[in-house]
Amino acid sequence: MKNIIRAEKVNKIYPNGCHALKDVSVNVDKGEVIVIVGPSGSGKSTFLRTLNQLETISSGAIEIDGIDMYARSTDINKLRQDVGMVFQGFNLFPHKTALGNVMLAPLKVANRPHSEVKKDAENLLNKVGLADRQTNYPNHLSGGQQQRVAIARALAMTPNIMLFDEPTSALDPEMVGEVLDVMKDLAKEGMTMVVVTHEMGFAKEVADRVMFMEDGELIVSDTPENFFDAPSNPRLQKFLSKVL
Amino acid sequence: MQLNLKSLFWNGIFVLVLLSICWLIYASGKRIDYNWNWERVVPYIATNAESSINAPEDGEIVLAANNQLVLENLSGDVIVELGNYSSLNVYEGDLIFEGDTLASIEEWRMGPILHGVITTVKISAWSLVFALVLGLFIGLMRISSNPALKKLSIVYIELIRGTPLLVQIFIVYFFIGTVLDLERFTAGVISLSVFTSAYVAEIVRSGIQSIPKGQMEAARSLGMNYPKAMMYVILPQAFKQTLPPLAGQFINLIKDSSLVSVISITDLTKAGREVVSGSFAPFEVWFTVAALYLILTSGLSWAIQALEKKLSASD
Ligand SMILES: Nc1ncnc2c1ncn2[C@@H]1O[C@H](COP(=O)(O)OP(=O)(O)O)[C@@H](O)[C@H]1O
Ligand SMILES: [Mg+2]
Repeated sequence: MKNIIRAEKVNKIYPNGCHALKDVSVNVDKGEVIVIVGPSGSGKSTFLRTLNQLETISSGAIEIDGIDMYARSTDINKLRQDVGMVFQGFNLFPHKTALGNVMLAPLKVANRPHSEVKKDAENLLNKVGLADRQTNYPNHLSGGQQQRVAIARALAMTPNIMLFDEPTSALDPEMVGEVLDVMKDLAKEGMTMVVVTHEMGFAKEVADRVMFMEDGELIVSDTPENFFDAPSNPRLQKFLSKVL
Repeated sequence: MQLNLKSLFWNGIFVLVLLSICWLIYASGKRIDYNWNWERVVPYIATNAESSINAPEDGEIVLAANNQLVLENLSGDVIVELGNYSSLNVYEGDLIFEGDTLASIEEWRMGPILHGVITTVKISAWSLVFALVLGLFIGLMRISSNPALKKLSIVYIELIRGTPLLVQIFIVYFFIGTVLDLERFTAGVISLSVFTSAYVAEIVRSGIQSIPKGQMEAARSLGMNYPKAMMYVILPQAFKQTLPPLAGQFINLIKDSSLVSVISITDLTKAGREVVSGSFAPFEVWFTVAALYLILTSGLSWAIQALEKKLSASD
């Protein structure tokens, strides 16, 4: 079976000289849920952001759905429509209502008809449990609600891959569950997901594979059972002893 | 209660200071034996004057078939119908020569000051639109990663902001205006828009840079290209942020427009100067001109505040 994401020996050196990714290679199959954990500053966000080219890479190769991201013929804006992203800080558009946030890209990027887009957006907000918050502006929503709108917004372009960068880290504890529930539903529907998170419970329950990054290197990639119950790598053991 | 008394006291002081300033102006007028004659200004704003209808060519007044007086020229064609005028100066059978007064009508007409207001509003409105568009482009160039665009915009901004508007008006009118054969009004609009656009560009730049980086990232991650992300995500937010400084800049624009009177555009200021020499009421005229500018600037300020309020629904 063909991999939906192929990252080959990816290196990222920031202009300030920081070597944030060192020969990171990851293959993801369609429908797989990958959870990436690791200490702060280990390059998790950087890696995730290379997968939709919010960061360019210094060397290596990335293929999404068989398309080489850095080929001359690749239209990055087209490719990004296939890769949804959810940010730690939500990044909702504050001048648009919840519905407006979800509708913007289908209207302006896909140029689809308004009535159709509106119906789809309403269905998406319904799906993330916010049918009654359509006309709210982001500033009038709780953190958990905002993050669910952000997920609906990313889904509106019907991506095949969803990237989550610490989606619950900015939330009050009582709101973490509602966002994780939406993500679990997505995983059940067969969405390919790459999730950076500190929620070990989510990793154990939902992940097909868990990866451990440290100092820009991908050190361990294993099933959740092996990863949490029988870690062989000493650096991972040390990390787990701190977070569990 | 304590607080109420205190605020009442200071509000009283405020009114008192204003009243004494008014008195001071009045007293200074008295000191130089100035006779305040506000009614002299009125005809220069608007008049209900008689104006006469003159004969365009030689002819004769005859009674037409519908029992109304008309002016016929020598070949017998009707050239002026007089039925509509109430006060006629001619009778049937009169011989008329070109330029004779046939009738007079009373109507409200704008005086030179109102004409000046209209010119000022026109020149400011055109300049505002061009300054906004030009300033937006220069501002976008300023934050561009392309060195050529960026440096060009910096040179433009520094050049314009570093030289006086009056000098720019002369350069545009006498140099560029001569080369391109521009009208006065066009030259005025160009200098004002160029001058204001440099400030608008800086306002636009700081407005865009005040929008968190995550907004652009979110827009791009949805597949929007850079122009679309700017247009639908960044600029609408930046616009809201920049409204207060833009309002200040556009109020300056209205006031700066008074400088175009140096190239003989009869705006409100030039109208004021002309009226002063005819009316023998310089103080009244200049106070009136000042009040009219104040009405224009506060009108704009009010409109922008209303817009701000409308945009604040998402706060
Ligand atoms: N824009 C940037 N410019 C320079 N260095 C950066 C930038 N973003 C991240 N880094 C550095 O790259 C490393 C990895 O950062 P990041 O990917 O954010 O880690 P994580 O998400 O695992 O906490 C860190 O050392 C960080 O300081
Ligand atoms: Mg991070």
